[in-house]
Parts: sequence; structure tokens; C-alpha cells
Amino acid sequence: MRIILQIISLLALIALTLPSVIFLAGKMELNMVKWLMLVATIVWFVTATPWMWKDNSTEA
Amino acid sequence: MNTEQQSHQTQSGSEFEREPVPKSALLGFKSFIGMYAGEHCAGTELMIGPLFVAAGVSAFDLVAGLLLGNALAVLSWMFLCAPIATRKRLTLYYQLEKICGRKLVTLYNLANGVMFCFLAGAMVTVSATAVGVWFKFNMPGLNDLYPNSIGWVVAVAVVGGLIAIVAAYGYQTVAKFANVAAPWMVLVFLVFGFVGLRQFIEATGTEVGSMGDLWGLAKTEIWKGGPPQEGQVKFTFWHVTFFAWFCNMAMHIGMSDLSVFRFARKSWYAIASSAGMYVGHFMAWISASILYAYQLHLNPADTDVLPGPLAYRAAGLVGLLCVIIAGWTTANPTIYRAGLAFQALAPKSSRFKVTLITGAIATIAGMFPAIAMKLLDFVALYGLVLMPMGAVIFVDFWLIRKFGLQSYYAELSKRAFNWAAGLAWLVTLSICLVLVKLAWIIDKLVNWDVFTMSDKVQWIKDTFTVQIFFVSLPGWFVAALLYTVLSKIYQKKLRPVAAE
Repeated sequence: MRIILQIISLLALIALTLPSVIFLAGKMELNMVKWLMLVATIVWFVTATPWMWKDNSTEA
Repeated sequence: MNTEQQSHQTQSGSEFEREPVPKSALLGFKSFIGMYAGEHCAGTELMIGPLFVAAGVSAFDLVAGLLLGNALAVLSWMFLCAPIATRKRLTLYYQLEKICGRKLVTLYNLANGVMFCFLAGAMVTVSATAVGVWFKFNMPGLNDLYPNSIGWVVAVAVVGGLIAIVAAYGYQTVAKFANVAAPWMVLVFLVFGFVGLRQFIEATGTEVGSMGDLWGLAKTEIWKGGPPQEGQVKFTFWHVTFFAWFCNMAMHIGMSDLSVFRFARKSWYAIASSAGMYVGHFMAWISASILYAYQLHLNPADTDVLPGPLAYRAAGLVGLLCVIIAGWTTANPTIYRAGLAFQALAPKSSRFKVTLITGAIATIAGMFPAIAMKLLDFVALYGLVLMPMGAVIFVDFWLIRKFGLQSYYAELSKRAFNWAAGLAWLVTLSICLVLVKLAWIIDKLVNWDVFTMSDKVQWIKDTFTVQIFFVSLPGWFVAALLYTVLSKIYQKKLRPVAAE
């Protein structure tokens, strides 16, 4: 489960950044970039929190 | 700004507070890379980048100045702070207590706490600008010193109040949330840069087919140089270099990060700070500055530095979330740490109440935009205030025995206030502040007819007035020299029992 969450959260970070790179290249509208970033942000916090929170607890 | 790092100091500071860190508790290189990389993207980065543009910086001065200044900051961590940290493995406060005595450390704590309070206030200001995007109240302008609308005061009160309550109840929870948010936040900053760049390309109709074209756009449209905005100091290559070097001066030259690097196996691990410098103090500042430059490009009269609207224009709701989270997660440890510093003055007071009161002070400070709008000056002052104690620690560790004097003199002589260290700190600060304000002082004295403005007085004014961004460098040598000379006098007068 943990590894799946890690993979999804990594993909969320890529999804957060990639649209802006495509926008920089002039191949996407800014509104679409903003929507994709919002979705990626939700996915990041939902999937990264469980495993990163646990990691932090272990470190503490 | 490295404020999140303070949370680590607080967390780690609860262990081995009055003993060297044992070998079993040492940390590997990767721990420091992760810590610094994520933790230099704070809410204040969204102010600093735009303020560079408001200061009329040019593209070369910004990029070259940041490259050099950040390198100097990393070298300061590597060669000033970490070598002492890994040899003594003590917290800053315990090391200072041995040198300066308990009462002087308490005074240092007070100064630290006050500076943290104002810094947290600036972070609350940053977060509140995001609220303004939703509620459309009047927000402060670049040269505003006082709150300019009821809406602004209410927004800061609500945001600051919430931050203070959460810091008092659940500091550790927010610290954990900050760690989850860090990678996301770094990438949102990167996105700000990409989006801002494309907006410039479209708005100017520039054809960008090579790095040369991009550099041309940067020089002629984004960071054009020229005069600063009204009320701002003109930033040159040297301003950028010294600002980047000294904005974390309290941490490296001021030795606050002794508490962090005492856990490092080797002193060279301090090179990990470069991850933070070149992510937060290079990429994030440049990205944030592009957003402001674009705002000026659209409307040169719109000089307001408001992270909320800037981020919203570039990244919509995610941009606003970034502003709120960046301000909140960095104000949280700052308020908590300021509370700890104040609690040292009254150890029996409740941590909860002290944190709440500290948060209330930070919130009131946040209502006054002067701190956030003059953040470049405030950050320089913050480093200056704590820098002399770094010089005292450096001299006490490396040099003082070479002059036949005692290291850790307060501990040896059982003094609660080492006057040599105390005077070195206060006299250095006074000299530096007089140099910074010299032109103003001379003008006042001339106005009061104390003396007339002769050529000689004008020469003194022009020659010896030093801007706050530069004064800390000579100030460090003044503090080191003063501590050595004063120790020579003080230690002769009060011979410690152990030395006799």
C-alpha cells in the first residue's frame, strides 16, 4: 500500500509541474494549467500525507 | 528565509540540551540535504523576490549576485558554523551560556524572541494577502507603514489568531504538515517561474528560440535595472550578493545552526545547505520576482507587493493555497520558537499562554505592513542583531587561548554575565547602527545647529555612512576584536578560580 501511495504522490508532483512546462512551450492554456495543478495538489496531499506523516513520526 | 529550520532546532533542541550529542545520535548527510532543501521555501520568499524588482535590480546583478551570495552563505555554514558544531556538539544556547553566563544568554533570548515575533508578523502579513483576493478589501501598498483598511486589520487578526492558536495547541502537528507540504510548495514556486516567463513571452511578443533569446528577455523586460520604486533603495550586484549571504546570517555566522550541525558526523555536511540556498534563495526568489515584474509590465503604476494576488494570477487557487500554507507553516515554528525564547525569561509561565501572547504580538506586528514591505531591511537587521554573538563564539573557540585567555569564561568563573561578551555585543550593535544612521544623525545635528554642514562634515557623512546590507561584515571584525580586547581586561580583573 505504502509503495502505491508513494508512486501516486510522485506522479502528482509530476502532474503539478508538467502542465506549466507545456504552458511555457506555448502548448496549453493557463486555465487548464490551473485546473490540472489543483487536481494534482489534492492528489498530493491525499496520497503523501499518510506515508510522509508516518515517516515524520518515526524520525521524531 | 530559513524559519522552518527553527522547528527542527526546537525539536532536536529538546534532546541533549546540556550535553554533547553522542555518536549514536549522529545523522547522515542525506538528513541535512532533505532538511535544508525543503525548508528555505518560506512565505517570505514571496516578498523578497518582488522587493528585488522594486529595488530596480538588473538581470545580471540578480543572477550573479544570488549565485555568489548563496555560495558565500554555504561557505559560512561550512567553515564558520559546522566546524565548531561538530567539535563541541552543543546547542547554541548551552555554548553561549558557558561563554556568556546565564543572564546574558537570557538577554540574547529576549532579542531573539523579539526578532522572531516581527518575522512571524511578516509571515502573517503574507498569508493575509491571500485572504484579500477573496474578500476584496483594500490591501497595503509598497510604501504603506500602517494598516489602511478595516478589512486588512480583520484579515490579519483572523489569520494571525488562527496561526497562534494552532501553534499553541498543536505545534508538532503543523510541523509535520509542513514537511508534507514542502515538496509541493517548492514545485509551486517553480511553476510560478514557468508561468510568469510564458506570460512575459506572450505579453512582449518575444520569440524565444535559444538561451540567448531568454537572457535578452530577462535583461530588457523582466529585470530591467534602472531606478528603484519610490521609497526603495537601489539594489546593485553587491546589494544582492550581501543580502543573499547575510539573510541567514543569524544561522551561519551568528551560529544558531550549531544546534543543527551538532548532529552531523562531519563538518562538510554543511554543504547540504546549498540545497536550501539554491532552491529557496535562488529559484524561489527569481520565480517570485518574475510574477511582480509581470505585474509592473501590465501596469507600471501597480507597485503593490502582494503575494496573494501575484500567486493567484499565476496559479489560481493553488497559488493562493501556496501563499497561505507557506506563511502558516513558517509562522508556526517562528511563533513557537519566539515563545520558547520568552519563556526562558519566566520559566514557570505556561508554554500555552506564552505562545498565545507571542502569537498575538506577531499578529499585531503583521497588521503593520511596514515590516513586510521593508523586509529586505528587516532581514538585514535581524542578522545584524544576532551576528556579534557568532563572532564571540568564533573567537572563544579558535583564538582566545592563543592570547593566553580562558575559553568558556563564564562557566569557569561562575559568572552569570560575562561583561566582555555583553559589551562586545552591545557596542558592536551600537557602532553598526550609528554607521547605518550616520547621514540621518548628521542631518539632525545640523538642523539643531549643533554644527554646520562644512565640506569636512559632508565628507564624513558620505564616507562613513554604511547601508544596513553591508555593515555586518565590518561589524563581525569589530565584535571579534572587541571581545578579545575586553576579555584581556575583564579576565585580568576577575581571574577564575580554575585558572589560579
